[in-house]
Amino acid sequence: MEQQHIDSLLERYLSLIDEYSRLREELTKLQTGVYQNIARANFTGERGMRYGQDHYDERMRALRVLDIELAEDNVPNFTIKNLNHPVDGATGDDKKQEEAEKRNDSLKEEETEKEETADITNAQEKPADSAEEQQTDQEKKDEEKAKKPIHNPLHWFGLLAPQPLRTAQTLSIQAVQEAIPRLVSVNAEMEHVEIEIRRAKKKRAKAMAAMAAEREVVRQGAVEAR
Amino acid sequence: MSSHADFKDRQFLADSVTGLLLAGIGHITTGAEAQKNFLVVDNKTETAAIESAFESFTSRKDIGIVLINQHIADRIRHRVDTYTAAFPTVLEIPSKDHPYDPEKDSVLRRVRRLFGE
Repeated sequence: MEQQHIDSLLERYLSLIDEYSRLREELTKLQTGVYQNIARANFTGERGMRYGQDHYDERMRALRVLDIELAEDNVPNFTIKNLNHPVDGATGDDKKQEEAEKRNDSLKEEETEKEETADITNAQEKPADSAEEQQTDQEKKDEEKAKKPIHNPLHWFGLLAPQPLRTAQTLSIQAVQEAIPRLVSVNAEMEHVEIEIRRAKKKRAKAMAAMAAEREVVRQGAVEAR
Repeated sequence: MSSHADFKDRQFLADSVTGLLLAGIGHITTGAEAQKNFLVVDNKTETAAIESAFESFTSRKDIGIVLINQHIADRIRHRVDTYTAAFPTVLEIPSKDHPYDPEKDSVLRRVRRLFGE
């Protein structure tokens, strides 16, 4: 009975190892693609432009955040949520993620700052009749800006990023959104199964020791009876 | 010559970070003490700096997965292998010039331990 349980756990564990290896291969393939495309972009870059850390935006904000859900057996499941999609839809998840909260706060700050500067310029420059119209225009623009996907990392390297860099981004998103969260989820599940296997093995060892002791007692009883 | 090699090395390592940041997972907190959620390691980066970054990333509440290049993890192997907390979880990834080595993978080493090798 105990052996059957261990066998089924080992079977599950082996399938997890298989999935882990497959995901590893996938991640390696994706990352190779990213590196090749960045190298290609660097090779074709104008005036020796290097697409590297010299161009990182020092005000960068995460566009993708991690969501961790605990299953019934306390095994965490990792998924990546894209905040590029409707901002309203993401607000619910923001409560779970500090990072997302920070991002939201900073967004709000940015928005208020924008509004304030708009007010000041309106007050200074506009005559009374056109002020309202221009203010509404400004508000519309602000709204549009708020709706637009923000801070695309591609824009750190200029508005017209080369095609290889775009391809690198696509592959990287695939790695971050699919392969990496799946890999860590599988790893977490493997850890959980490992604990179960060790427990089951211990239980079996205890049961076997108890059986051996019982047999010994019976044997000794039989010897004494003779 | 050596400076060219240094530059190439630096570029190779930075490519790992650039690639990941392109996916939009880079974050720098606002405020006086702006904290990055990444560290670009080059051959001049001291092991102590990598160790302290690892320490800081693994103790931050807003980080769920710590991604580290496998050959960088080798430099602080004792730290990586003794880290057992569930969150944040640590994942070793290959870099441009150091392909993934299953022999060094902490997950597969754990598997071998389980099967008694």
